[in-house]
Amino acid sequence: MFLKIRDLMKSFGEGDNRVEVLKGIDLDIEKGEFCVLLGPSGSGKSTLLNIIGGIDSSDAGFIAIDGEKTGEMKEKKLTLYRRKHLGFVFQMYNLIPNLTIRENIEVGAFLSSRPLDIDEMMQTLGIYEHRNKLPNQLSGGQQQRTAIGRALIKNPDILLCDEPTGALDYKTSKEILKLIETVNQKYGNTIVMVTHNDAIKFMADRVVHLRDGMIRKNYVNENKIPAEELDW
Amino acid sequence: MSNPLRKRLLRELRSEAGKYGVIFFLLLATIGFVSGFLVADGSMRITYDESFDTYDIEDGYLDVAKEITPEEMADIENLGVSLYENYFVEEALTNESTLRIFQNREEVDRVCLMQGSLPVNTGEIAIDRMYAVNNGIAVGDMIESADRQWKVTGYVALSDYSSLFSNNNDTMFDAVKFGVGIVTQEEFAGFSKKILKYRYSWVYDVQPAEKGAGSENAEGERVEAGSAKAERAENDRAEEFMKDVGKVVNLETFVPAYQNQAIVFTGNDMGSDRSMMIALLYMVIGILAFVFSITISNTISREANTIGTLRASGYTRGELVRHYMTMPMTVTVMGAVIGNVLGYTLFEKVASQMYYGSYSLTKYETRWNAEAFILTTVVPFFMMLIINFVILSYKMTLSPLKFFRRDLSRRRQKRAVYLGKRIPFFSRFRLRIIFQNMSNYAILLVGIIFANLLLLFGLALPVVLDHYQEEIEGNMLSSYQYILSVPVSILSDESKIRSMISMLEFSRAVETDNETAEKFSAYSLNTMDDICDSEEVLLYGISDDSSYISLDVSGDEVYISEGYADKHNLKPGDTVTLKEKYEDEEYSFQITGIYDYMGALSLFMSQEKLNTTFDLDDEYFSGYFSDTRITDINKKYVGSVIDLEALTKVSRQLDVSMGSMMYLVDVFAILIFVVLIYLLSKIVIEKNAQAISMTKILGYKNSEISRLYILSTSVVVVIFLLASMALDRYLMGFIFRQIMLNSMSGWIQFYTNKSVFIKMFLLGGITYGAVAALEFRKIKRVPMDEALKNVE
Repeated sequence: MFLKIRDLMKSFGEGDNRVEVLKGIDLDIEKGEFCVLLGPSGSGKSTLLNIIGGIDSSDAGFIAIDGEKTGEMKEKKLTLYRRKHLGFVFQMYNLIPNLTIRENIEVGAFLSSRPLDIDEMMQTLGIYEHRNKLPNQLSGGQQQRTAIGRALIKNPDILLCDEPTGALDYKTSKEILKLIETVNQKYGNTIVMVTHNDAIKFMADRVVHLRDGMIRKNYVNENKIPAEELDW
Repeated sequence: MSNPLRKRLLRELRSEAGKYGVIFFLLLATIGFVSGFLVADGSMRITYDESFDTYDIEDGYLDVAKEITPEEMADIENLGVSLYENYFVEEALTNESTLRIFQNREEVDRVCLMQGSLPVNTGEIAIDRMYAVNNGIAVGDMIESADRQWKVTGYVALSDYSSLFSNNNDTMFDAVKFGVGIVTQEEFAGFSKKILKYRYSWVYDVQPAEKGAGSENAEGERVEAGSAKAERAENDRAEEFMKDVGKVVNLETFVPAYQNQAIVFTGNDMGSDRSMMIALLYMVIGILAFVFSITISNTISREANTIGTLRASGYTRGELVRHYMTMPMTVTVMGAVIGNVLGYTLFEKVASQMYYGSYSLTKYETRWNAEAFILTTVVPFFMMLIINFVILSYKMTLSPLKFFRRDLSRRRQKRAVYLGKRIPFFSRFRLRIIFQNMSNYAILLVGIIFANLLLLFGLALPVVLDHYQEEIEGNMLSSYQYILSVPVSILSDESKIRSMISMLEFSRAVETDNETAEKFSAYSLNTMDDICDSEEVLLYGISDDSSYISLDVSGDEVYISEGYADKHNLKPGDTVTLKEKYEDEEYSFQITGIYDYMGALSLFMSQEKLNTTFDLDDEYFSGYFSDTRITDINKKYVGSVIDLEALTKVSRQLDVSMGSMMYLVDVFAILIFVVLIYLLSKIVIEKNAQAISMTKILGYKNSEISRLYILSTSVVVVIFLLASMALDRYLMGFIFRQIMLNSMSGWIQFYTNKSVFIKMFLLGGITYGAVAALEFRKIKRVPMDEALKNVE
């Protein structure tokens, strides 16, 4: 198993204010699989994604990627782990405002000893003509493409996406989903995507429903459809 | 209901304690120090002015060869003065200094006891405080001359020696090698009459120009004390008195108080640093106001969404401007109030010690100084208010929608500066950070220029003084110059016989067998008060074949000293016009060339030309150049001896009075440097907190992030340090020149060497290194969840 999660627990606050966000999560994801995490607000999906990404820690349980447990890693090793294995895409793009589009993608490329070709990536993402612009000169969709480019340029093993279409309109959202589908097929990255959008589950290989910090449903989607055909 | 936004102010203060703390500390230190200085300066000035009445300072003194008889005394007093004996002896002490000893004065030039007690027994002495401190003599110590010793019972300030000039012709006093003291009447009576100097002090029955308040002259015009008119009135009165008294006794020296440097030098020099201190204060306040504005602009950018919401909800621009101005204004008011409290307590002591380190001033009382309060509290408050108000009001004119969208730029689309792919990625990244923070760096540049200017002053002054000393040593006209003091009685027009006798006596007494001695004529004129206050220039009339001054002055040639050329921007071909000090007569000379001599403002011509110009006898001379001491001329005709010690008094005294202050200047400069670098690099990191957080998430190591964000500021700091050195060298040259022009006679050239700049660079670098270490810690602490906040 490529990504193995066992009895993962996480809580916030203390005493009477203590809230258990994850209450023992068990999950296995295969290499190259496109997994969608669905659930209402407060179900713990973003927290789970952050713990997988090594930017948050669990109280109990473990996550192992390719057999390597992240909870046992110290800060430096965790940084190297993120550098080597992970790519992030957030709802709010998080581009560096004073770097051009190309330079923002280079920020990701720098982290890899074998980065993909930047120009080709920008062509694939449809932002090549904007390469010398600053993020605030681009639309939300173009900025999100840049963020995806930055995450993918180092060809990570796992691409973690937290509501990547949450701030986009229908048309742009579909374009972004098509793009993610394309890179998944083209580069074979494992994708874990957190979303509110129930329709996205139809394009995923695996669908996980969370509620109140627990997995309510976890199944392999046998009738996967292309992103192009999604509708909501 | 009060504005609920106020509730966040205390929280803001707590969360930004470091930022507000350092700004408060710098404001406190600056306002405190300047307030202390101004209060001490004002109080000292009042004390000095009042000392003329408080201690009955004389209107002048005259020296005679022998004691004035009661009849002569009565004749002199009939001239409208009261005359007081003020005899003294000079003792060479075993510490290689000279002490001028008076008996305690009770009617005129009274002394102020500073510490300990006045002498009551024989064998006791009270000495000048500054001289004692400079020579490490404590109350209770014994001091010795070749054949006597005294127990020091106390420190005193002699009201007629606020500056310790041993000779009124000296360009500077020397409070290390010369001091004054008082003994009891009985002790004084024990000195041999042979060594007694018969000095008499006089006080006019009716003042020519009332000291302090001013008075009306004969024509009914108001004459302000210290004004040119007042000085002219005193001069006229003194000249008249000198002529009259010359008919009664043979005068050796005649010095009215307004020409007595030991009395007036302090008053003339006081306040010369005032404008510099005030400029320093406003410079720091101005820089801090801009730092505040940048930090507030940064906060506004961070809180743009909230501001948009508040504006959309109905909060007015004014309410928000007032809200964001509250903290900087509170910090300024607190800094000013506590600074003033410290100014009147702690810093006032520091500043008064600076005065006491330079002058032998009497005891003073701290006086309330309204002007200091306005300059250090009211003006900075309004400066801060206006600068912040203008910048904040401008920021707040954006529409709520722009705030919502976080689009705070006024330009429609900010284009990225093109940076080619060939530039390494990290270098491009750093360049982008520099472009992003241009306004921060502009303030930093001003701050570094200012801090380095102070640092340069602090570090360069000892080098300037050392260099001056070396220059003097290497370029002396001769090892000794004896300027002869022509007796006043020779100049008497009234009694020709007395004048002739005096002339004969003088000529015989100043002949020497010293083989190295070479006669010259000297005449003293004053510069016109064009670029600086009028000051004395010594004109040398030298023999054509002078072995001391290698100039061809056989014709009409006139050379000026390099010091004079430097100070007054003169070059060959120019014409200089000089004047008699208290008369209207002017003399013009065309400059043939510059003579390599920095020691004084001098003019060289042939002896014949000088004697002719000033209508002096062909054989007239008034000084000797000599490579060895001349021992066979009567000392009473030696006005002054210009040797290495005399020429370097200026640098020694400056070193004594300002040396310790230079450390304070250095510390203050470094403090400004630290505060600015800390605040501005903190802003760079805060502004990029999200980007830093994101790079962390992506897997960048702290060291890599630091290389991006700290190194960009490091590069800027290094460039600014180097650029500011070149600029500050130029600025300091200009400022030093202005100081020299406006606050002292003579000329010291501004000089620096590599070591000063290396020290400046190292101090700047080390200081920055410490701040960078703090910033590295800050980068390490930027949490990764910063990037997860929805604030794009």
